Amino acid sequence: MSFGFPWGLLALGALVPLVAAYFLRRKQKPVVVSALFLWRTPRPRAEAGPRFERFTREASLLLEMLAVVAAALFLADVRLGEDARMRHLVLVVDGSLSMSARGADGRPVLEKVRAEAARRVEEEKATSVTVLASGTVPRVLAGPEAEPSRALASLESFHALGADHEVAPTLLWAQELAGPGRRVHFLTDAPPAEGVAVPAAVRWTALGAARDNVALVSAWRRDEGSTATVTLRVARFGTGPEETEVRAVARPGPGATEGTERRERVRLPEEGAATLRFTFENAGDVEVSLPPDALPEDGEARLPPAPERRVRVALAEGLDAQARSALERFLAVSPGVERGPGEGALVVGPRGSDARVTVGVGGAVRTFVGPFFAEKGHPLLDDVQLGGVRWAAGAEAPPGRPLMTAGTVVLLSEAEGQVHLNVDLSRSNVQRTPAWPVLLGNLLREVRHAQEGFPRRQLSLGESLVVVTRPGARYTLEGPEGTRPLFGAGTLGLPPAAVPGRYTLERDGEPVDAVEVLPLDARESDLRGRGGGDRPAQAAGSDEDGGAAPGRARWPLLVLLAALLADFYVTRRTEVK
Amino acid sequence: MSTALDFDEAEVARLAPGLALALPRTPQRGRVGEVRAASAGSSLELHDFRAYQPGDDLRQMDWNAVARTGELSLRVRQDEVSPRLEVLLDGSRSMALSPRKAGCARELALLATEVGAHQGLSPTLLVCGARPERVQGQVCRSALRAATFDAKDDLHAALARLPPLRPCGLRVVVSDFLFEAPLPVLVSRLAQGAAALFLVQVLDAEDLEPTGGEGARLVDAESGAALEELLTEEVLAAYTRRFAEHQKALGAAAARARAVHLVAPAPQALRVLVAGALRPLFLPEGVA
Repeated sequence: MSFGFPWGLLALGALVPLVAAYFLRRKQKPVVVSALFLWRTPRPRAEAGPRFERFTREASLLLEMLAVVAAALFLADVRLGEDARMRHLVLVVDGSLSMSARGADGRPVLEKVRAEAARRVEEEKATSVTVLASGTVPRVLAGPEAEPSRALASLESFHALGADHEVAPTLLWAQELAGPGRRVHFLTDAPPAEGVAVPAAVRWTALGAARDNVALVSAWRRDEGSTATVTLRVARFGTGPEETEVRAVARPGPGATEGTERRERVRLPEEGAATLRFTFENAGDVEVSLPPDALPEDGEARLPPAPERRVRVALAEGLDAQARSALERFLAVSPGVERGPGEGALVVGPRGSDARVTVGVGGAVRTFVGPFFAEKGHPLLDDVQLGGVRWAAGAEAPPGRPLMTAGTVVLLSEAEGQVHLNVDLSRSNVQRTPAWPVLLGNLLREVRHAQEGFPRRQLSLGESLVVVTRPGARYTLEGPEGTRPLFGAGTLGLPPAAVPGRYTLERDGEPVDAVEVLPLDARESDLRGRGGGDRPAQAAGSDEDGGAAPGRARWPLLVLLAALLADFYVTRRTEVK
Repeated sequence: MSTALDFDEAEVARLAPGLALALPRTPQRGRVGEVRAASAGSSLELHDFRAYQPGDDLRQMDWNAVARTGELSLRVRQDEVSPRLEVLLDGSRSMALSPRKAGCARELALLATEVGAHQGLSPTLLVCGARPERVQGQVCRSALRAATFDAKDDLHAALARLPPLRPCGLRVVVSDFLFEAPLPVLVSRLAQGAAALFLVQVLDAEDLEPTGGEGARLVDAESGAALEELLTEEVLAAYTRRFAEHQKALGAAAARARAVHLVAPAPQALRVLVAGALRPLFLPEGVA
């Protein structure tokens, strides 16, 4: 049973005075008579069988109550059985950033989508609505099968700030929620591109408009000491404007009393992007903004300080002089490195030690000039060029998985977090080639990335969140949409953030690190391909089948009339023949 | 249930000496007594003469007449009977609809027993209440005083609880006869074994002419059954019609059983009733 107009049930309040009148009437002083049969109309069954007459008042009350209930059900638009079947409407709203673009009239596309959604709910006479927001990770805004008012309210509080994404998974999910043969309403800002496979049951409605737009396509900040370097790329999507003014405001950082504001006019190329660089001293957060345009969200970025992570390196006893000398030469010029033992320090030791990195040979030493076989794609070997390298290695292979070999000899191996370098630096020239600092730089980079927190401090929309956690601790990720727990230890790859903003990693309730997800996505900033249109569902939907009856149910009216007639019958006064 | 507020025993005592019950003319029922019956019998009082017929008692031959006329004449003497009186009082709740109705019923039953006793009829009183009671002689007065109208059924149903009615000369039934029952059957049963039957119907003023007035809920005095009815003029007129039909049926049943149906409106004084409506039962002494 369902009610089309639940307020109609207020009519049940009429039962109160009805019952009260019944009890008041019962309190009337009865008139005792000698012969009741003389007052009654003689009936064939008067001499036998039950005497219904004594229940006249109760029967009348029951019939009148039945009439009131029937009237209330009619007013409340009661629906039973087939009539009560839910009319389920599934709406999918594009959650990408371009939905926040303003049209020529200044109204955001999302506002038009809200109005269109309300119109669809009214048009389809939906009794339940499910609202999905498409995105890199689809999500439910209302439902499944929420009340229409709740569903529309959820749209009011929704902000489309997501990255460019494929909508097909969301549409397929919506189709599953709608059920076989039911239509799905997709509300977006652009008609489907050529070649995009749209499910047959999806009605695609585009409410956008083509606009010119100037946007930040990337923003990057790097802090070295007290100097912050902000690198921006500004692009123009459309015919104008040819130049724009970029404003960068640095909030005062530690040791600074006031902030700094920079403005720079930049000429925008027709294709590609213009690059700008600002430097600030003792800067806190740096806020970058462009003049307002069709999509102001992609012209603003907030860049918090992003100092490079420091790595502590310790050289263990037992290293031969050549190796120690080569390592110290590298560490002396490597940025963000602290020397000496300490917690979490990267220890470099001789072969056979339990240091994180071992350097040394075992067995007869042979010198190789090539060919060298390296595991392609391993981060330790990024950009490691071994041309001209003379590598002297021992015959005994180091333990672990080989990463680089020459002939049958393993030159570099990795085992359980340890890296083993099978090299005799007194007979090699590798420490004097570019391969040596690159290899060690990769090693330090991996160590940095293995530190607790976010390896990157700034991310653009759509980029996966990578976070490193330690085992044995409880982590949560706090972001603009709330807090969620993180499970697992080590390097965790999380789905891209749904909305831009600051995400903070907390360990046992204490903040550990933070990352800023910037509302920058060049594909979303390009509004030239947006437009309007309505593409009906290719498959015939069955929304009309099983839908609510067009009018109110009539049976309560019939019950009401029957109850009134019966009440009239039991309370009638008849003449004696 | 009942009260004896309107039970005027003094008035009964004043009226009883000057009254006599109308005795039946049918043959006596009861042992030989001192009361001259209307029928011929063997008392010393001469009743008539007739011609001798074979088989007649020769001791009753009037030899003087035979000598004067030469015809065999026989003396016919008045019979002497000792008839019994049975007074049946309806003990249903409707008899106590008002104190006056209950009092009037008690007075009539007492007057019948008093007059009967004075007449030497050996009265028996039967009260058809919830607990039936049967008394004889002088205790009738106290029994009537203590009688309660508490039966939840009517006289027809109460007869089943009563001790069996005995053959008697005169039976007086005091009731309102306002109940749904097969009246011919009831009256026939009451007349069974009685030489004469008087149905004294005591009716309250509300029974005769209901005033209507307050309330729309009528409750039966005996069964407690209720009826929703607004007491409008039309309804009251309908009641009057149905009441008249009921009375007509009762009278017809009484006539069929050779009983006498007398209506005693309770509002009237006992003296008025005796002189008026109940004159067929209570005859002035000397007339009987």
